[in-house]
Amino acid sequence: MLRFIIRRLLVTVPMVLVVVSLTWGLIRLAPGNFYTGEKPIPAPILKNLRDKYGLDKPWYVQYGKMISNTLHGDFGSSLKYQGQSVNTILKSALPVSATIGFLAYVLALTVGVTFGALAALRQNSQLDYSSMALAMVGISLPNFVLGPLLVLVLSLTWYVFPPALWGGASHLVLPVLTLSGLYMAYIARLARAGMLEVLRSNYIRTARAKGLSEWRVITRHALRGGLLPVVSFSGPALAFLLTGTVVVERIFALPGLGNYFINANLNRDEPLIIGIVAFISIAVLVFNLLVDIAYGFLDPRVRYS
Amino acid sequence: MKKLSLLALLSAAAVTIAGCGAKAQTAEYFGKTEPPSGQEMRYITGSEPESLDPQVSTGQPEARVYLALYEGLTEYHPVTGEAMPAIAERWEPNADNSEFTFHLRHNARFSNGDPITAGDFVYTLRRGLAPALAARAAYLAYYIKGAQAYNEGRGRAEDIGIQAIDDFTLKITLTQPLPFLDGLMAHQFFRVLPQKTIEKYGDAWTEPAHIVTSGAFKVETWRHYDRLILVRDPMNWDAARVKLDRITFYPLEDVTTMMNLYKAGEVDAVYNHTVPYAWVDQIRHLPDYMDKPEVAIEYYGINTTKPPMNDLRVRKAFNLAVDKSALAEYRRVVKPLTSFTPEGIFPKYPRPTGDGFDPQRGRDLLAEAGFSGADGKFDPSKFPASSLEILYNTTESNKQTAEFVQAQWKQNLGITIPLKNMEWKTFLDERAKLRFSGFSRQGWIADYMDPYSFLDLFSTPTGENGTGWFDPKYKAMLEEANRQPDPQKRYELLAKAESYMLEAQPIVPLWTSGSDWLKKPYVKGMYSNPIILHPWKYVYIEHDRSKWNSDPLPAITSN
Repeated sequence: MLRFIIRRLLVTVPMVLVVVSLTWGLIRLAPGNFYTGEKPIPAPILKNLRDKYGLDKPWYVQYGKMISNTLHGDFGSSLKYQGQSVNTILKSALPVSATIGFLAYVLALTVGVTFGALAALRQNSQLDYSSMALAMVGISLPNFVLGPLLVLVLSLTWYVFPPALWGGASHLVLPVLTLSGLYMAYIARLARAGMLEVLRSNYIRTARAKGLSEWRVITRHALRGGLLPVVSFSGPALAFLLTGTVVVERIFALPGLGNYFINANLNRDEPLIIGIVAFISIAVLVFNLLVDIAYGFLDPRVRYS
Repeated sequence: MKKLSLLALLSAAAVTIAGCGAKAQTAEYFGKTEPPSGQEMRYITGSEPESLDPQVSTGQPEARVYLALYEGLTEYHPVTGEAMPAIAERWEPNADNSEFTFHLRHNARFSNGDPITAGDFVYTLRRGLAPALAARAAYLAYYIKGAQAYNEGRGRAEDIGIQAIDDFTLKITLTQPLPFLDGLMAHQFFRVLPQKTIEKYGDAWTEPAHIVTSGAFKVETWRHYDRLILVRDPMNWDAARVKLDRITFYPLEDVTTMMNLYKAGEVDAVYNHTVPYAWVDQIRHLPDYMDKPEVAIEYYGINTTKPPMNDLRVRKAFNLAVDKSALAEYRRVVKPLTSFTPEGIFPKYPRPTGDGFDPQRGRDLLAEAGFSGADGKFDPSKFPASSLEILYNTTESNKQTAEFVQAQWKQNLGITIPLKNMEWKTFLDERAKLRFSGFSRQGWIADYMDPYSFLDLFSTPTGENGTGWFDPKYKAMLEEANRQPDPQKRYELLAKAESYMLEAQPIVPLWTSGSDWLKKPYVKGMYSNPIILHPWKYVYIEHDRSKWNSDPLPAITSN
């Protein structure tokens, strides 16, 4: 098990390097630069700018610097936000995204698994139909529609929750609801499908034959196997939820990583883009690893040597 | 069942939306109008400030903040946007406007209590022009003697034409006559900076823990992408006049979110051009809506280097075939424009009218240019329309304009010019390098209140104006106008130069922008001035409802 984890962690390093290299190349291909704006910049000032940021150095020097920065975990200073280091930005933005993402995930998991499992246990009942219909709505309703709808009803019509900004607990409600909608619906469907399959399997029949109570059959045996699809979905989902979601952060004006990321791209802010991409790819790899480990615990058939 | 719940949800949403719309139309103001308890202002300022260093960043979002944090020799008048005294109590130019002497007030101080002297202004300008700082707005100082040479790394800082005669007298020597220098000095690039702090902390001097400022407010907290909180600075020489205790700037870019926050009463005012097109009709009749002409224009630049647009007759024809009044009516919040300087901003400037709407003449000109059939009349099928394009950066509003202009040309000339949209930076690159054929969207907001801020755009040969048009005669005409000491005579000469440029038709003028922003009725001392920059020390919250309907003029700083 330990060897497995170490091996997977070691693979992370070259993979992150490949990802940042590709990103770096793509930034180079995109026209424009961080300093271009509506007002044209006279030639002498352009020269000063290019000298200051070393933009006229050969590409391999600039690339080497980027790789070395990435390996040291220090991505340098943002080009757009002068005087701010990328690491400071990551440190300030991550807690915001992570808070929203984590709460949304917990909400999605709790509601999704509860309704998914209940729907499976009461297959073809009213409860099954209505919760799956609602899940369908959740999946079809993109968050850029759900968010404004919630704002319209809960902020502008009833003035219950603030429509945007980052502050107290009341500011969390709408973004968390918006963000969790899709995941909640998806998890409910996955849980239902997983449970249905497991409930028909032989080991559940065996458990029942042993005379176990229905509650025990479900919690000890059925859920463990039935939730495997949810677990494998959770890895990448958590990675994306925790590292910032562009649409929700924009609609609710949250100072999270997603907002930085989209603007860094629009601004051609190379160090910031590289920093965020490296961070997100590490998160995705680590969460996938966690999922694989969780599999081992949940399903006795999967064991790593 | 599935269908039912979806239907129920949609109809619930529809009812809410309809109900909301009906309510807004009958309301006295837009949304909640509960003033904040004290003298506290909450304002949406646009994108996240790049920096709090006024010489490093160039954008409008930062400029709005700098009016609170830094003071220059002069300041923008809250109502007219023209120059008024700030740290300089008074100033006088020499006979031909090529040398200005500023007399500084003796009680001006930085936020750490240090006195502000003429030497600080000398330092500020030298720092801004230092090649190592690579300030993007440094070109604004190129009118000052020796400034360009130093910025290009050829000259010495000591040779820049700025001199502290004594602690409170400052002399600025220019390379050319510049009657509007006082207006230029209000620009953020020239606002005075604390030498000791900058030298001590380097790039980190703008961090809240170190920053020292010169304006009526100082930094309390800066949480990036969240809020920037400023509080009144008791050290400021004019602190007694400052009414607000605190200003919170929210960096926000999504206009719908801004409207939501405004409507829910979470902010008191938003910056300009923020009311979404679809909302304008619902809001414009309410007292919240600020609608005045702005010192900003929108136009299409023509790539004059490629055929068929290198033919003056073709360029003229396309301009003649756009009904600017109809366009303005369609855009609702703007005024039609046929010249290159904005309408209704410079009352004494004899603005040329340019060509109006005359599609017949347009068709005749195109026939003359060789696109005619056997009968000698213009034949649209002969025109290479598909080789041209209307290029714009991707926004809903730019698309609507492009479609309108496209329809005009289709209707009036029978030509369909394809549309092409691009992401912002890609668009800028394409436009600057003249890699498009036909037309590209352009806009310009003046750096200072003078027609020259517009006319100067075409005075460089580098093609940075996105049209490739340059004429040394035009440049000479501008220079001659600026040498003229009499302001009215100068305006006349500038107008002549503008006519000359319009004759060459490197552009299709579209409109003078409308300010298009919102403020709550209890926000006073904040006016829809043409430059849409607000000197915050005049702004206050009026808690007495009976005074909400009047907008008293400010008691302006006197000497």
